[in-house]
Amino acid sequence: MATMPASASDLLKSFKLKTKQQELLIRVSILCLVYILAFITRLFSVLRYESMIHEFDPYFNYRTTLYLTENGFYDFWNWFDYESWYPLGRIVGGTLYPGLMVTAVLIYRILRFLRFAVHIREVCVLTAPFFASNTTLVAYFFGKEIWDSGAGLVAAILIAVCPGYISRSVAGSYDNEGVAIFALLFTFYVFVKAVNTGSLAWSLASAFGYFYMVSAWGGYVFIINLIPLYVLVLLITGRYSMRLYVAYNCMYILGMLLAMQIRFVGFQHVQSGEHMAAMGVFFLMQVFYFLDWVKHMLSDTKLFQAFLRITVTSAVAVGGIALGLGMVSGYISPWTGRFYSLLDPTYAKDHIPIIASVSEHQPTAWSSFMFDFHILLFLFPAGLYFCFKRLSDATIFIVMYGLTSMYFAGVMVRLILVATPAVCLISAIAVSTTVKNLTVLLRSKNKVVQTGSTKGSGGSKSSSKALLDQSQPFQKNGAIALLFGAFYLLSRYATHCTWVTSEAYSSPSIVLAARGAHGNRVIFDDYREAYFWLRQNTPQDAKVMSWWDYGYQITAMGNRTVIVDNNTWNNTHIATVGRAMSSYEDEAIEIIRSLDVDYVLVVFGGVTGYSSDDINKFLWMVRIGGGVFPVIKEPDYLVNGEYRVDKGAAPKMLNCLMYKLCYYRFGEMMTEYGKPPGYDRARGVEIGNKDVKLEHLEEAFTTSNWIVRIYRVKPPNNRW
Amino acid sequence: MAISYILLFILSFISISRFLVISKAGAESELVADLLTLQSQSESGVIHLNDRTVSKFITSTKTPRPYSLLIFFDAIPLHDKSDLRLPVLVHDFALVASSFIANHNGSNTKLFFCDLEFRESQSSFKLFDVNSLPNIYLVGPDAESLKDDTDQMEQSGFTRLTESLVEFIESRTQLTVGPIHHSPIISKKQMVLIIGFLLIWSPFAARKIFAGETMFHNPRIWLSGAIFVYFFSVSGAMHIIIRKMPMFLMDREDPNKLIFFYQGTGVQLGLEGFMVGFLYTIVGLLLAVVTHVLVYVKDLKTKRIGMLFSVFVSFWAVKQVIFLDNWKTRYAIHGFWPSRWN
Repeated sequence: MATMPASASDLLKSFKLKTKQQELLIRVSILCLVYILAFITRLFSVLRYESMIHEFDPYFNYRTTLYLTENGFYDFWNWFDYESWYPLGRIVGGTLYPGLMVTAVLIYRILRFLRFAVHIREVCVLTAPFFASNTTLVAYFFGKEIWDSGAGLVAAILIAVCPGYISRSVAGSYDNEGVAIFALLFTFYVFVKAVNTGSLAWSLASAFGYFYMVSAWGGYVFIINLIPLYVLVLLITGRYSMRLYVAYNCMYILGMLLAMQIRFVGFQHVQSGEHMAAMGVFFLMQVFYFLDWVKHMLSDTKLFQAFLRITVTSAVAVGGIALGLGMVSGYISPWTGRFYSLLDPTYAKDHIPIIASVSEHQPTAWSSFMFDFHILLFLFPAGLYFCFKRLSDATIFIVMYGLTSMYFAGVMVRLILVATPAVCLISAIAVSTTVKNLTVLLRSKNKVVQTGSTKGSGGSKSSSKALLDQSQPFQKNGAIALLFGAFYLLSRYATHCTWVTSEAYSSPSIVLAARGAHGNRVIFDDYREAYFWLRQNTPQDAKVMSWWDYGYQITAMGNRTVIVDNNTWNNTHIATVGRAMSSYEDEAIEIIRSLDVDYVLVVFGGVTGYSSDDINKFLWMVRIGGGVFPVIKEPDYLVNGEYRVDKGAAPKMLNCLMYKLCYYRFGEMMTEYGKPPGYDRARGVEIGNKDVKLEHLEEAFTTSNWIVRIYRVKPPNNRW
Repeated sequence: MAISYILLFILSFISISRFLVISKAGAESELVADLLTLQSQSESGVIHLNDRTVSKFITSTKTPRPYSLLIFFDAIPLHDKSDLRLPVLVHDFALVASSFIANHNGSNTKLFFCDLEFRESQSSFKLFDVNSLPNIYLVGPDAESLKDDTDQMEQSGFTRLTESLVEFIESRTQLTVGPIHHSPIISKKQMVLIIGFLLIWSPFAARKIFAGETMFHNPRIWLSGAIFVYFFSVSGAMHIIIRKMPMFLMDREDPNKLIFFYQGTGVQLGLEGFMVGFLYTIVGLLLAVVTHVLVYVKDLKTKRIGMLFSVFVSFWAVKQVIFLDNWKTRYAIHGFWPSRWN
């Protein structure tokens, strides 16, 4: 007992850490806090609503994950899904990127092994936030690799709350991008590490990182084009080194072999035009290495130059001929439309309406950048400048990553996601360097000598030069003011991020929220009501026809077979559904019978004022239907080029199946005080056809807010 | 005798009718030959018709004609009206025509591509009852009245003319058009020249790269390129190019006023984007200038003024952008402070 106080004081003494250890302790605790912050800021959606899967695509991912947990990997790999695309079915194993599902199941198994009795849904909901936390760690190490540990810390903090990343990684958005951004940044980090060290181990790790990325997301094409581009730039700027040679060759060859194991990629990796740049740079590397070797062997420079001329000419010629032959013989496939639309952005608009129609594929306006990056946008050019002031292999990489992804983000809104890590890293360099310079200035009186220890970055060098000029008055006050300014800006960033996460990016879109008349929150849970009704009240083998947006949700939650879903691989099939929806009932019923449909599901927002319903999507059904079946003509549904549903609407519009199904019995209903019955709140008009009669279909179920309406297909009359 | 008369009569009838058939066929083949020569005279294979040739090839011939005519109605005075896009349509029409002829090796005598110009053939326009442009009519072999028996192409087809024209031809005439031969951006000769130039140039370039003497070794060039790419992206220039947004709008109520800023997310005007892009860029560049250039300035006063200037400009730019963003998106961004703080 008597020894206790003594040992306690020993313990205290041992806590008296040296400066280095103190710094380490602070750094580790900051990282832990950032790790937690990145996780909890993504939980708004769980708090506001409940733990559930969001949107459309994640429901497919969830369903496949469930299948994987129940049936094991090999069944999953060979899964033929007969519940979607009736009567065609879908080969699931060969048409998806399995990385996400396998990751979730792995986490699930580990938790089970540790005796945590969790449900697979909880794992799926929290996968994206968990990986976002991991991304912050990678960002720290990446920042440390390209600049210093301060920049790494700032990068970790910035990326933890950056809205551009949060938009795709809130709890419940169980989509490929959630893990893919982690894989992307990890691959880049490890590759830069490999280039910096020239170590085989790191390049092996980058090959595996690349493999994980390929298994998780189609965006891996960005990696396999950015890294060769980076290598090419290093070659052109005369930064060729043995380290680069080892890193790239190992990463490319192993990464390629591994990537080909994913069935969805397969031989595309050596055949398709999108991957050819990597192969070309690989051969170019060999030429460089060979030339270096010859230069080393030949001591005479003139002889070497003559040799150089001959080899380069023949190499270029052989490469060109090989590429030409490959293209002509069809062995190398030309670039796909999506790739073209990135290089020549006007291409998609003119040639591929399916790509152009998706809202995520729209070009970005300046306000979206502001919304997703806020203050980082202002810091980005400064960070670029700092990187150029201290050029190294690593900073060249981050600059190239930043610029290419920025360009792509300008072409398509959804690619802001890919640019986010780069923007955070480059801005972190700017923040960290500036704050460091200012604090060094503040501390200068006490420890003038210490300024030399700040690794001599471009920024601190110049500031330490300024330090020598001690005669400047107000220097400290100015530094304090600027520091406060910087912290004010950063706190604005934090406020903005929190607000955006909470208000804009956390809604699940399967449960809708609105403000009631008294400012209270009203929840519309109609989708799930309808899907559970389907699950419990329809025969097991019932086929449900709806527009493709709801296909994944119906199969996942309603457990019923659908005709088309969000994997839009068969345009004709979708067009058939579009044609049925836009025909008169007696024409539609023949299509419906030919597809063996038992139930038809429509989404209707006229009662609640929900604007993304089927009536507003209807013109796309007409367009896509008319693209395959010329009997459907868009002008038939328009009046003087205007889309209307009221009395002045086109007669074909007023009598097509979609209109009838949406507005059946709606003419009797009062929706708003002071408005006539049948007043559509989503479009703000009184509908034109209030006396809707159905002949071959009957109403089976309408949810409490009328958002989802389900109709049963009547069996044919046996006498007439 | 009577029998021989009858025989003679029949014989003569047969021969006369045969002669008639031959002469009709002869007239028809002459018309086709005329069309073929006209087609070969035109560069793209589009035959230029006028009132006289319309009557020669269409109205004064007997049906069924051995050919169909696809007629594009053109009006040169309207070429500068950008919303009609007539020059583009003329080009597309000629492209389909030349592809069709090339795919049939010039041996096609079933379908001919023609155009009519409004000023020189107004009466033909009346015959077809064409009042609006653009318009394409197909005159089939059996068409008697140009108003009623001809097929008019849908107006919706003009947005993507080449594809819809091919569909239109194939559905109405049962002829296949085959692949469209888009003229390549660079011709074969140019291609050979470029490849030759590249082959000769590459060793010199390689030598320079090895020696490190190119402009690619100058970081300043890379830096300015980088800043440009940044400016280009964040100013939404891609948005302007893809959506073909105008630089500014005219105010409908007051024509002297110009609208530079558009309220609503997802849409922006040209100058608006460039202004905001400039504001985005200026703050970062000022920070760079302050930390890397200003510190070398010897004169204290200039240094201080430069410092204050950049601080104020940066502050103003950030404030301005945040104000504009809130105005544009109509979001009121606020912090989540404890409620008792309010």
